[in-house]
Amino acid sequence: MTRVAYYKGCLASLSAKELDSATQALAPKVGLDLVELESVTCCGAGDIHEAEPDYYLHLNARILAYAAAEGVDTLLTVCNVCTLNLRQANFILLGDSDVRARVNENLVAIGVPAYERDVDVRHLLWEIAEGEGYEKLKTAAHRGLKGLKIAPFYGCQILRPSRIQGFEDPDRPWSLERIIEACGGEAIDYPAKIKCCGFPIIQAREETALGELIQPIEQAVEAGADAMVTPCPLCHLSLDAWQSKLKATTGRDFKMPILHLSQLVGVAAGLQESELRFKRHVVSVKPMLEKIEA
Amino acid sequence: MHVEATHDVLVVGAGCAGMRAAIEAHDAGADVGVISKLHPTRSHSGAAEGGINAALGNAGEDSPASHTFDTVKGSDYIGDQDAIEILCREAPGDIFQLEHWGAVFSRREDGKLAQRPFGAAGSPRTVFAADITGHVLIQVLYEQLVKRGITVYEEFFAWKLVENDDRCQGVICWDLLDGGLKTIGGKTVVLATGGQGRIYRTTTNAYACTGDGAAMALHLGLPLKDMEFMQFHPTTLYPTGILLTEGCRGEGAYLINKDGERFMKRYAPNAMELASRDVVSRSEQTEIDQGRGVDGSIFLDMRHLGAARIIERLPGSRELAMTFAGIDPIYDPVPVRPGAHYHMGGVETDNEGATELTGLYAAGEVACVSVHGANRLGGNSLMETITFGRRAGRAAAEWALSHTTIDVPRSAEADAERELQQLLDVAEGERPWQIRNDLGTSMLENFGVFRREEQMLEQLDTIEALRERYERGVVIEDKGDVFNTDLTQAIELGNMLDLSWCMVQAGIARKESRGAHARPYDYPTRDDENFMKHSISRWVDGAPQLSYSEVRVTEYEPMERTY
Amino acid sequence: MQVGLKVWRFNARTGERELAEYEVDAPEEATLLDVLDIVKDKHDGTLAYRKSCRMMICGSCGMRMDGAAVLACKTRMYDIAQAGHVPVISAMGNLPIVKDLVVDMDPFWDKFKSVDPFLRPGYDEPPGGRENLIRQERMNVIHKESLCINCGCCVSECNAMESDPRFLGPQALAKAMRFVGDPRDGHKIERLDALNGEHGIWECTRCYFCNERCPKGVDPRDAIAKLGAESMKEGIDGDMGAKHAKWFVVSAKTTGWLRETELVPKTQGLVAAIKQTRFALDLAVKGKVPPPVPPHVAKNVRQARRLHDLVRDQGVNGYAGIVQGEHALAKLAHGHVSGETLEEIYDRPGAFPRPYIAEEAEEAVAS
Repeated sequence: MTRVAYYKGCLASLSAKELDSATQALAPKVGLDLVELESVTCCGAGDIHEAEPDYYLHLNARILAYAAAEGVDTLLTVCNVCTLNLRQANFILLGDSDVRARVNENLVAIGVPAYERDVDVRHLLWEIAEGEGYEKLKTAAHRGLKGLKIAPFYGCQILRPSRIQGFEDPDRPWSLERIIEACGGEAIDYPAKIKCCGFPIIQAREETALGELIQPIEQAVEAGADAMVTPCPLCHLSLDAWQSKLKATTGRDFKMPILHLSQLVGVAAGLQESELRFKRHVVSVKPMLEKIEA
Repeated sequence: MHVEATHDVLVVGAGCAGMRAAIEAHDAGADVGVISKLHPTRSHSGAAEGGINAALGNAGEDSPASHTFDTVKGSDYIGDQDAIEILCREAPGDIFQLEHWGAVFSRREDGKLAQRPFGAAGSPRTVFAADITGHVLIQVLYEQLVKRGITVYEEFFAWKLVENDDRCQGVICWDLLDGGLKTIGGKTVVLATGGQGRIYRTTTNAYACTGDGAAMALHLGLPLKDMEFMQFHPTTLYPTGILLTEGCRGEGAYLINKDGERFMKRYAPNAMELASRDVVSRSEQTEIDQGRGVDGSIFLDMRHLGAARIIERLPGSRELAMTFAGIDPIYDPVPVRPGAHYHMGGVETDNEGATELTGLYAAGEVACVSVHGANRLGGNSLMETITFGRRAGRAAAEWALSHTTIDVPRSAEADAERELQQLLDVAEGERPWQIRNDLGTSMLENFGVFRREEQMLEQLDTIEALRERYERGVVIEDKGDVFNTDLTQAIELGNMLDLSWCMVQAGIARKESRGAHARPYDYPTRDDENFMKHSISRWVDGAPQLSYSEVRVTEYEPMERTY
Repeated sequence: MQVGLKVWRFNARTGERELAEYEVDAPEEATLLDVLDIVKDKHDGTLAYRKSCRMMICGSCGMRMDGAAVLACKTRMYDIAQAGHVPVISAMGNLPIVKDLVVDMDPFWDKFKSVDPFLRPGYDEPPGGRENLIRQERMNVIHKESLCINCGCCVSECNAMESDPRFLGPQALAKAMRFVGDPRDGHKIERLDALNGEHGIWECTRCYFCNERCPKGVDPRDAIAKLGAESMKEGIDGDMGAKHAKWFVVSAKTTGWLRETELVPKTQGLVAAIKQTRFALDLAVKGKVPPPVPPHVAKNVRQARRLHDLVRDQGVNGYAGIVQGEHALAKLAHGHVSGETLEEIYDRPGAFPRPYIAEEAEEAVAS
């Protein structure tokens, strides 16, 4: 078992609690011993990065500092946006000793340990797409997905900017497909899988966002997918909770179930509803589950 | 076809010289139109890298007089000294003007404009923006063009000048986006169409640099001056010919042969790598010819500059080397060789940019004032585009504002239509690329860094044969209206053939070595008694005719030129 | 080497579209642009595309390869040909196609012009008419934005613009930042006000495609973030996007975690929030609308509050907060991190000979 610091982020703590429960239940099965970080805050998303970038840097440095203080090598995330924010902050601190010194001075001044020992920030997706995690995944996914057609939706920030994220080719990613297949599902290919779900502007510019959101959902439906899976709870919120809004604009009721990555693997690994908490989804996952039972 | 519009001042070409002329003409109160076969920011001025010269005195003691002397010496004493004095005197004011307009130049610790050492300069006077100075200038000039709302006929290929009543009255163009010949009338026309490096197979120049403006003037019978002087830039990447700025050497880079020797010690022991460009190119070519190169190249070594300095001061050059030569200059020397870069010669103008034809002006690389004589200093070309672009723009505006009529005769348009149809009607024959490649290879071979009588004579024959092949008719496969670069590229080829004829003819006749015209085997020394003069090429009855004109000397008598 | 290409030919006049396939013989160092030249010269002279400098500075040759915008002159074909891959070449996105790979750039230039892309001076004339004195560090605020060559690769891939063509877009916004951050410009507030309009800063969807595609390292998304940061610093924060962002800051300071439920009314205003009630109820039923009371507070959130005030008073505010990270992030871009000494570089196995001057070498041998 690898001990990792676990930063769940805002959504997994609140509106997407199902992501947290599924992840915590899944982790030991894929060899991860999660040490949940408590003295942390929101990573700021793109919002604090844009509104008060210096505060964004410090908030993320604080998260990194507490992770490092746990004596782990890896800080595990379960959200695209948290991953980008933390990795970007990390590169800034690691690459500029003057900035790091100033930030550390501030952290210490308010009672936070300085960020001295480096940690690496990795999304759960990366942990189980290859290496030891992947091997454990294959073993864990004993129940399998029985050939379900799953449309992977990467979204934006787990892939771009690739200079910062760097795990896979941003235009030809493979991690979700590999995991889907390892779980016994069939990965569906479609162009919008790496495009934006629109979440960052879904409140400030709803119409524009919905014009983006419709693309992956429509394409997944047309490709015959039984469900979609995404590594980002913000994308999940768009795809799942805002799917009903598309009915108003298009007149179509897509009824496309959207799963968090941990849930998809969780299904294949035989996790219970108490852990997967599908009841919290707006679009019912039942049709997909029934197909596996059949 | 009809006259699309008329303007007080019509500028052909939207690089640094063209845009600066247009801005000045506008500010002088004229109604301006700019014609360009590219969108302005695509112009080749934007590819300039190292910097722009002016005696600001920020990095050390300097003066316009010192700048003048360096330029006169650099020109190997056939630069016109009154013009050079004007350039060096007005340069500082022009630089400050650019800065006030917002140019993003690199700065010194004290906040002043930074200046770096450049070839053959007595004091570091090259103002720069990392190694993308041309890009920064193109951007600031385009911004100022947009600010003034100046009309630009974008992607209009200028084909022929209209002469009527002993005046230049407009330009006939091919509209690339919509198709069709369009005539734009102008009380005055300012040519700012750049050079013709594409005549050579190995060149730093963009595809667009085909001498269209010089050819238009040539065909009208105007005198082109000093055509034989083509500058070969010492550091062009192998094999593409892409430019690596002199600024690398300005920052301290070495030139080494395959053994690692800094060979410049043997050719220019004082200035070393920062000797004048013609000296450096010749030195390199000698090393290469004598077997101390690899793949026809020697090496630009920046390893000792260190990663930090390279990344801060020369990031563009590093990226070019990595992308186009697969080499990271932090770790390895970059193979470079001389490549055709800048044409010192061009359309003869006076110090206000006026040509022999009333109403026609020229500025920038297409013009020959002459500020560069037989060899140009690095950093002086960008300065020339600004200073003389401004002067030509103002002169053109003043003339236009004091005259009222424009008259473009119908016959001019009709002739052009007929010629165009002839070009498009060719059904069988060669494709232009074959002639273009043969021209490029033979010019490099026979009219390159080192020249010999026999080879130059052979080149005349070659050009004649190529022109014959061209006259017989080349096949333009695209007969359509929309974005027909197949057509414009064929016309460009014709321009280059005529210009190269002028160049070689003038080269044979100049029986000396001076500046960029190097004849080490037959005429190895400079002959001031017989050849301290400008070559003049005129097109008469379909062929170039050569004559000479005087060099304007004010202060500096010719001396031995060593570095 | 043998190179295969598929090119989407298109004629806007006739509306004809076809996928043409070409196979040519090209030198190993050939770029996509070189291959297109060979096709046009030797196979089909009607193929239309823009080009000029061939050294990634003029910005003419933007086009899509396998759906992603690139500069044709920067794209080496060797690896692609070796892999036996036949890429599909098409015109850039988000702009009308004129012919084949040539797009109508007018909408692009119109947006560019709409941000007043020229200096509007706001400084006293420097003494003696000389240059304004500005430290390099201060100019570096707009270093990345000044690299832009107007190629259109960012615009081609912009997801927000694809959904709403009226979005100003990454290029125009990056250019606007170039002036907002220029110390010589005197109209920063006016500019920021305009950029906070309906199709400005806050319509950016943060897909980061622009950063990914830009061939010059401009990072337009970060330029947009700089504009947002500077707007907020100057108190220009009335847009819903700004309010949305502000609420994240407030949440972090007070409860640590995002106060999701209040996000909608805080962003869109109470009236709009009420209009969303039906939608909100659907979410609430699923537990997606956590009750604001009792607040979900992170442990030691007092630290976050203190941190906010401490940091704010240090003055790395507005775009400075983003610029401070550029030096470190640039290392990822230029790809050089190791700190070898010169000796180590000279001594690498297979390294090129060290530079020397012959005279000195001879003298050393003689002595």
